[in-house]
Amino acid sequence: MYIKNIINNFKRYSYLMSQMISRDFKVKYKRSVLGVLWSLLQPLLMMSVMALVFSQMFRFNMEGVNYLVYLMSGLIMFNYFSEASNNAMGSIVSNFQLMTKVYIPKYIFPLSKCLFFGINFLLSLIPLLLIVIITGAPITWTYILLPYSFICLLFFTIGIGLILSAISVFLRDMFYIYSILLTIWQYFTPIFYDIRMLPSILQTLFKFNPLYQYITFARTILLDGKVPDLLSFVFCGVSAIIFFIIGCIVFKKNQDKFIYYV
Amino acid sequence: MIKIKNVSMKFNLGIEKNNSLKETVINFFSPKKRKSKKKEEFWALKDIDFNIAKGEVVGLIGSNGAGKSTLLKVVSGVMKPTKGSVEVNGVISPMIELGAGFDQDLTARENIYLNGAVLGYSKKFLESKFDEIVEFSELKDFLDVPIKNFSSGMTAKLAFAISTIVDPEILIVDEILSVGDIKFQEKSKNKMLEMIKGGTTVLYVSHSLQSIKDLCTKVVWLDHGKIVKIGDTKEICEEYYEAQMGKQMKK
Repeated sequence: MYIKNIINNFKRYSYLMSQMISRDFKVKYKRSVLGVLWSLLQPLLMMSVMALVFSQMFRFNMEGVNYLVYLMSGLIMFNYFSEASNNAMGSIVSNFQLMTKVYIPKYIFPLSKCLFFGINFLLSLIPLLLIVIITGAPITWTYILLPYSFICLLFFTIGIGLILSAISVFLRDMFYIYSILLTIWQYFTPIFYDIRMLPSILQTLFKFNPLYQYITFARTILLDGKVPDLLSFVFCGVSAIIFFIIGCIVFKKNQDKFIYYV
Repeated sequence: MIKIKNVSMKFNLGIEKNNSLKETVINFFSPKKRKSKKKEEFWALKDIDFNIAKGEVVGLIGSNGAGKSTLLKVVSGVMKPTKGSVEVNGVISPMIELGAGFDQDLTARENIYLNGAVLGYSKKFLESKFDEIVEFSELKDFLDVPIKNFSSGMTAKLAFAISTIVDPEILIVDEILSVGDIKFQEKSKNKMLEMIKGGTTVLYVSHSLQSIKDLCTKVVWLDHGKIVKIGDTKEICEEYYEAQMGKQMKK
């Protein structure tokens, strides 16, 4: 009954959600000459810069690894997380005018941001695939497992986004704190380096970073053409669900108070 | 149709001041300030309790700050009451503030769909009513212009046209009749009357006693968040008028 209610509610507001996502698209690319093409170009250019810096300037070398694919896969997955969670965080505060005028389920704001950047993320898979083909990395049947890591990433991001958006209503400092946290998080996630370069204590610690797990899951498929081991499957799924549920609970408990604080 | 049970609504006027970590820390160490915060509680509504039956047109009257708009927001679900509960059977069309969710960067056409979705319309409904909205708003030539280039009157016309396109089950109206130029004002007024008289259930806030007398079957008189009187339209309107004007005479 309760779940049925949620689904009905979701259906009723799905049109609003799609409108808000398409609004974000229109506003984002308004007046830019290349428009949506930027969604493809941006990750490609970012990757080029990083690849140049690390492989040429720092003589950073990873033996036997397709570095471009390695870099690109980590980059687009982390970028998705950082952009989506960051925008979801501000979504409640920036939409407060709307919330005081009509009744809209409040979870729509962070959720639509996560989905909007999700579509952007899907677009950035095109340049990734391009790099895979150009560098001659093998495309195997294991690719059908890739969406699993993306879905885990999505649910994890929604969970974090819900938590952040709720906190930031009460504590505006969160916007500054989180931007620093994100920078730290970025360096603690092996995007351009290999975790095996670190001391073994750090390695174990890093493995508890869900983002590391999702990225590694995808890399096992993209680079090795192998099926990730059972433990990765479990860790990815469980961490995503836990954070998603925590996010929902935190958000639900606080959402009625939002209106007094925004 | 609508059951309002013992609804009370508390606002904390001091909340605004305590939004950053720094101030929280400072307040933590200065007990004086913390004490004074308690006094800043404000009850916008106190023990409001009445029902609205299907087809009734209920008017809310009272001076500024009496809690009328807060009550509308509680009924429409924007705010949850601090105490008590509101039960609503049916879909509410809130016309509390127009143009909720307009995006200044989007064109009028895009905003019709966005704003329509915000008001809870379905895609099918919006597509079938699109022409009607455009015609009513008199903005046919400006459909593909971003609304940041609109005058405020044009934006208001568009907003009015979108929000009045429904056949509402329950209509909640805060005084929004005076929109646009004289011609449009007349048109919008007629449209509102048409909607209100169409047999729907209406909760109506207005300062114009004349329009309340014309439309409402029942009146609730609010003062400082409490119900002063509830009942027959004509009687209460007159009493209210006397009370208000009497106060002014004394001054």
